[in-house]
Amino acid sequence: MDILIGSLVAGLLIGMVLALVALGLNIIFGVMEIVNFAHGEFLMVGMYTGLLTAQSTGMDPLFALPVAGVVGFLLGVICYSGFVKFLIRGPMVAQLLGTFGLMLFLRNLALLIFGSEDRAIHHGILVGKSFDIGMGVIIPATKLAGAGLAVFAFWAVWMLMNRTRIGKALTATALNAQGARYMGIPTERMNALAWGIGGASVTIAGALIVNFWSVNPYIGILFTMIAFAIVALGGFGSVPGAFFAGLVVGMITELPGIWDFFTYTFNLEWMANVPMTSLKYMWVYLAYFIIVVVRPRGLFGWKR
Amino acid sequence: MEAIRNALDFSDFPRRDLLVAGLVALFLLVFPIFPHSAFAMATMIQFFMFSLYGMGWNTIGGYGGQVDLGKAQYVGIGAYTTAVMLIRWDIPFWVSMPIGMCFAIIWSFIIGYPLFRLKGHYFAIATIATSLVLKDIFEVWDFVGAARGLEISPIKYIPPDFLRLIFKQDVYYYYVILGFFFLGILYVNWFRSSRLGFQLRSIKDNEDVARSLGINVHWAKIKTYAIATAFVSMVGSFHACYIKNIEPEDTMSLDISILIALMAMLGGAGSLWGPIIGAAVLIPLKSYLKEWLGATAGLPGIDLIIYALIIMVVSAVEPRGIWGIVEKVRRRKRR
Repeated sequence: MDILIGSLVAGLLIGMVLALVALGLNIIFGVMEIVNFAHGEFLMVGMYTGLLTAQSTGMDPLFALPVAGVVGFLLGVICYSGFVKFLIRGPMVAQLLGTFGLMLFLRNLALLIFGSEDRAIHHGILVGKSFDIGMGVIIPATKLAGAGLAVFAFWAVWMLMNRTRIGKALTATALNAQGARYMGIPTERMNALAWGIGGASVTIAGALIVNFWSVNPYIGILFTMIAFAIVALGGFGSVPGAFFAGLVVGMITELPGIWDFFTYTFNLEWMANVPMTSLKYMWVYLAYFIIVVVRPRGLFGWKR
Repeated sequence: MEAIRNALDFSDFPRRDLLVAGLVALFLLVFPIFPHSAFAMATMIQFFMFSLYGMGWNTIGGYGGQVDLGKAQYVGIGAYTTAVMLIRWDIPFWVSMPIGMCFAIIWSFIIGYPLFRLKGHYFAIATIATSLVLKDIFEVWDFVGAARGLEISPIKYIPPDFLRLIFKQDVYYYYVILGFFFLGILYVNWFRSSRLGFQLRSIKDNEDVARSLGINVHWAKIKTYAIATAFVSMVGSFHACYIKNIEPEDTMSLDISILIALMAMLGGAGSLWGPIIGAAVLIPLKSYLKEWLGATAGLPGIDLIIYALIIMVVSAVEPRGIWGIVEKVRRRKRR
């Protein structure tokens, strides 16, 4: 039983962080209908930012979040006004491959600068501490803090999107860019802002993830696919959808633990032989495939 | 007969293009006679392989406008079928290649049926997802060597072995793949003037209009996807015999899929020469950059950085690729 509860709790906690990862992709897609393949690479930039800030200044990695946010915002805005602005004039093929190019660029730039080895944070207030909540379930403090801060960041972005004038302008741009332009909304600036917010939220998520996950230049594609799965499940363009879908996908990534629980409970030979841990992320990809085939709109989608 | 005549009919191209194409073909035929380095030879073989992959991609992605970013899974299916059959049961290449193509086509039907209900980026991402699923399965499947992959040991066979395609010198491989290359061009040339080719182009222009004209859009896409798949799987089988050491990571990784799509797009998707031009530009660039900058100068990844910059510039400035630029210049001249 403790394995099951432990996996479910771990899935929920990681799911909250993953929801924040997907939020950035969702905002960018919602406003501009462009799919950013470099999203996971933005996350990687956030992870490296968090790691390097913590290592160079000696402060706790959790305090590196604002730095990561600023870096992500600038990265998003620069990517938009330097590159994506020209990309969206072309056909969809060009958009897909263009952001792929961006992904390759960022990934290999990281490879050139940081090398290919795994890096992890070893020092910090929370690193290595954990809570025992009974029944043998142990929660690492970094994951708990990461989940809490992710929910906070998520809430902040949600408030920004729904309770401020800027958020209203962004939503108007998403619904009808031409109409928004007639109403005097600077849609070009709104697009850049959407990339900025998207970039900032994903780099903050990266700086949270680096507390319990080692970073290397190739880590991006995994998170890109996870983010796609979340956004597809929650519905492209839906912010609450992204949150719930994040929790679901978080559970999917913890399937090996749940599988183990059933293996031990029913003591089944064949279940023990399935290499679940190696197939951990296959379920995410499979989930994406099934979701888009069965329900392309997602659970909360409003955009077709 | 009719089909062969159509395949050999290049008359809708300007004469100057055909002259250039003929000269290039002649050069490719006699290339091994000239003194060359082993590296240049390997690059040439890579070029042929990737232009064949690109031609396969071009049928569905270029003529059909369906951006497929999961071609690597079929490279894997072809390569693994050939390698497993050769290692376990000593089945020669010329038998295992069609079998691999059949497997690939069956798999393409299985995933193509649900896939083609999707459009645009949903489709593109879903192809990536299926490709990664298959790669993950191959990485844990002991029968195909799991993550270690398979190795065809050339010692067991007496080279040159034409049945099993095991050679010591690359020249043999060069001419085998050159044969495939010419056949591939003829096939695509037939395809673009076939009924399916016209149907596909009308689907690309406007799917609803195509449907209203009585074209079975879904089925046309699935059929073309199977054709593209067969191409890729065929070259995948060749890849197994040529490289002799296949792992999920270098046959089925996402980078291969992207590379295939990029080459076709850089050259000009939806034209006969596009993928070939794209491969002719990118493959030498990639391997020489890797050799000079990556290995010699000790800067890992710099080749791919330059590469990525090219992709970004092309997709932002001229999304129709090099062939698009050529056509634009021509149109301006005529005026």
